[in-house]
Amino acid sequence: MLRYLAKRLISMIPVVIAITIVVFGMVKAMPGDPAAMMINPALKEEQRIAAYNAMREKLSLDKPLPVQYVKWVAATVQGDLGWSAMNNRPVRDVILEPLKNTLILNVFVTVFQIAIILPIGVMMAVKRGSFMDRFWQVFSLVGYSMPSFFIGLSLIFLLALKLKWLPPGGMPISAYGKNFAYYVSWLKYLILPTLSLTIISIAGAIRYVRNAMIEALDQDYIRTARSKGLPEKVVIYSHAFRNALIPISTIIIMSVFAMLSGSAITEQVFAWKGIGHTLVLALNNRDYMLVIALNLLSTMLAITANIVADITYGIVDPRIKLE
Amino acid sequence: MENKTVPEPVKESTGAKLGKSFGSMFKRLFIREKDHLSVLEEEALQTPTQTVFKNFVRTRLGVVGVIAFILIMLFSFVGSQLRPIDESYQEPALSNIRPGANYLKYPAQIVKEGVKEISSGISYSVALTNEGNVYAWGKQPIYLSGMSTSVFNFPAGFKQGQIAHIAAGDRFWVALSEDGEFYGLGYNNFKQAELPEEAKEKMQSSSVKQLLAGEGVTGILFEDGEIFIWGSTMSTRQDNVPKEYQGRIVHAEFTSLNVVVLLDDGTIGVFGVSGNELSLIPAELTDGSVEVVAFTTSGRAALALDSTGKLHVWGSRLHDILQIPDFEGKVVDLFGGKNNFGVLLDNGQVIYWGANHFNQLAFPKAMKSANYVSVYSDMFQSYAVAEDGNVTAWGHKGFVFGSDQFGRDNLTRLIHGGRISLTVGAIAMIISVIIALFIGLVSGYFGGWLDNLLMRITDVVISIPFMPLAITLSTIVTGRVPEMYRIYMIMVILGFLNWPGLARLIRAHLLLEREKDFVLAARALGVKQRNIMVRHILPNIFNLVIVNVTLGYAGALLMESALSFLGFGVSPPTPSWGNMLDSAQSSTVIQYYWWRWVIPGLAVIFAALSVNLIGDALRDAMDPKASEK
Repeated sequence: MLRYLAKRLISMIPVVIAITIVVFGMVKAMPGDPAAMMINPALKEEQRIAAYNAMREKLSLDKPLPVQYVKWVAATVQGDLGWSAMNNRPVRDVILEPLKNTLILNVFVTVFQIAIILPIGVMMAVKRGSFMDRFWQVFSLVGYSMPSFFIGLSLIFLLALKLKWLPPGGMPISAYGKNFAYYVSWLKYLILPTLSLTIISIAGAIRYVRNAMIEALDQDYIRTARSKGLPEKVVIYSHAFRNALIPISTIIIMSVFAMLSGSAITEQVFAWKGIGHTLVLALNNRDYMLVIALNLLSTMLAITANIVADITYGIVDPRIKLE
Repeated sequence: MENKTVPEPVKESTGAKLGKSFGSMFKRLFIREKDHLSVLEEEALQTPTQTVFKNFVRTRLGVVGVIAFILIMLFSFVGSQLRPIDESYQEPALSNIRPGANYLKYPAQIVKEGVKEISSGISYSVALTNEGNVYAWGKQPIYLSGMSTSVFNFPAGFKQGQIAHIAAGDRFWVALSEDGEFYGLGYNNFKQAELPEEAKEKMQSSSVKQLLAGEGVTGILFEDGEIFIWGSTMSTRQDNVPKEYQGRIVHAEFTSLNVVVLLDDGTIGVFGVSGNELSLIPAELTDGSVEVVAFTTSGRAALALDSTGKLHVWGSRLHDILQIPDFEGKVVDLFGGKNNFGVLLDNGQVIYWGANHFNQLAFPKAMKSANYVSVYSDMFQSYAVAEDGNVTAWGHKGFVFGSDQFGRDNLTRLIHGGRISLTVGAIAMIISVIIALFIGLVSGYFGGWLDNLLMRITDVVISIPFMPLAITLSTIVTGRVPEMYRIYMIMVILGFLNWPGLARLIRAHLLLEREKDFVLAARALGVKQRNIMVRHILPNIFNLVIVNVTLGYAGALLMESALSFLGFGVSPPTPSWGNMLDSAQSSTVIQYYWWRWVIPGLAVIFAALSVNLIGDALRDAMDPKASEK
């Protein structure tokens, strides 16, 4: 397992390097002086000039591009992500909160998504052509033809503005510190974005789960299991489901991946202060260093998801490890 | 296949035989002839395309998808030709009106009872009949403040049958009964629909001559020539009546920012916002050289008639409103809409000119011959009353899909937005298919280090989450190109970020097909490598490409709408389905102006759904095994 994981990690290295080149290209493409964007503009005149010169030195802006790239990577790895003009704080301190919020949202959605698509997908495959199968197929078709923001707006309209059950968006403000009431209200704010993203990801994934399960149920070993007289439950869950798990785990990982991207829109609709919401804010405020840091962050999250996917494959399908 | 053509024995001359023989040889050598099949064989066989077509038609949902998509295309592409758009046109007075097309549908009673006066607001009209009854019709303007009421909800104790004056403002209307009872309905956010104490006191001593209402302001002109104005006057100062006018006013009219008055000596006075075009009154109207007998106002201009029958017009030149068309006849009455002027001639004809954004100029053909005695024109609706009491209405019928925050017609923007969204999606898709085909084919065909390199590039593009990168790129790229090229940049960005999935798929299938027996057979027959690729392998991948292009198109539509929704796609005022929704990020809009997000949202869903149905049906048609599942 370890060897397999190490192999996968090594194969990710060129991808990571290429991504840093892309992001470095972004830094160079952004309007403005990269060195000036890296330092606190509120410093006193002489201190600022000194800091600016030091940063120019550090990034070697007068040197050829490859040297600049290496220096930029070095600075980034050391946590020198620049100065966020919008927040007037170092970018490093600004991005932690959105990262936390996006992770929480996505973890909740992933848990709910798996909890829903597995039983329903299996049910659809087993009771092929039944009313519930048809219903979920239509749900899936309409769901993935729907812009994600439309689902969000509809939920706000219905649950927040008409029925007034939940807040329409935003995040709670803790006036009295983080007590119990704060966490309860925090959960209330979390429900709508989670619901919205869950609906989208279910719609995208459920029919693939169904197809994977159908494929597994059509195999010869299922007939063998049935002819042995095994109870149907054992046939489905022990024989078919385990074999369907390989494509299913691919689907789930793909949809987690899509979620990372799609949550930018949902975060914006519900004003959930995650990476996507902060990115839109930073772009609108021309806070370019923050923009670059957030892009780097979301890409790193995606790569992490990729590695987790590889580990999952290794667990689900022992054959992969041997290859 | 040659043995299948059985030549029939026909007696022919040797020369003809020879000629035919050479002819057919020639044909076989240089022109590929279609293989001839006997009737029986033709029945049994069909080309793969025919099979796919037949299977496709058999899946009813696919046909539904095709029809729906054709309808959407007709709606957007033909519709945009039929309904041209003026992207820069805005009409703030008409903002946020709910869907409806009944502005001109007046009740029959007003004809029966005889029209005394008709006055119109932005989306409704009020009529006072000769019997003193008041009728209101049209659409309720949205009101958000608790102090406002419906314009159709007559208050308790409303003295029907005894009403003497009515006047409709933009989103409210007021009425006065014969015994001095005042009623105000609709918007009351500036207390324009309530009678102030001072006016109430004044009404004890003098009778009311004219009731007038404008955009958020109300006025009462008394018989003694004094006027009292109240309402939304903070910025316009329309309530600040100059002392020298008080006591001399014969008639008054509101414009958007001013009040125009006719004084007892036949001269014109203007007050309210100073220094605009309207306050530059032509000299002859103020120095007493001509005597004005009547006048009317539009939103930003005024039209006056003097005692010699000559017309004088001044104010803002917008909408060509200052250019009076040529006509023959004597003017008996003047009337003005928001952006229009009109005159009624002594031969009963109506002349109308100015803006035509809401069909204000499209009056019915029958009107050219009919004899009219009076015309009422306010805002965007006009009503002409004929000698026999019949009422003809023309002008703004209403917004079928409502209006947005700038008073633009949602239907027109939906049509043109559809054209933009469908085109952006299509071109983005074409770009990504070209890249995917190139990379997929090169990678799968050549293999080796090139394959490795291209696949690593694919890995990189696929590893970066789409939305964050797309909005960042959109900001970087669109900041560097002129406004008019932005839309192309959006197509390029969407295209350049979307190819990796398809490229991987094409490569994978290429590798799969390459190992199949028919390729081995072709190679054994000595078919050239390139021909194996083009003639034998590619057609097998083609189906896959078609299906994925269709499904990808639905995806591209959704992505464009999402980008524009976030404000990083097609930039206003050019409409797209996505950016029609970008103002829907406030709960006021979501809750009260639902048509502004539900309708474009449904349009996106409808389009994406129909394309997805086509894609699914195509996949089932091309792979008969799939549909059995």
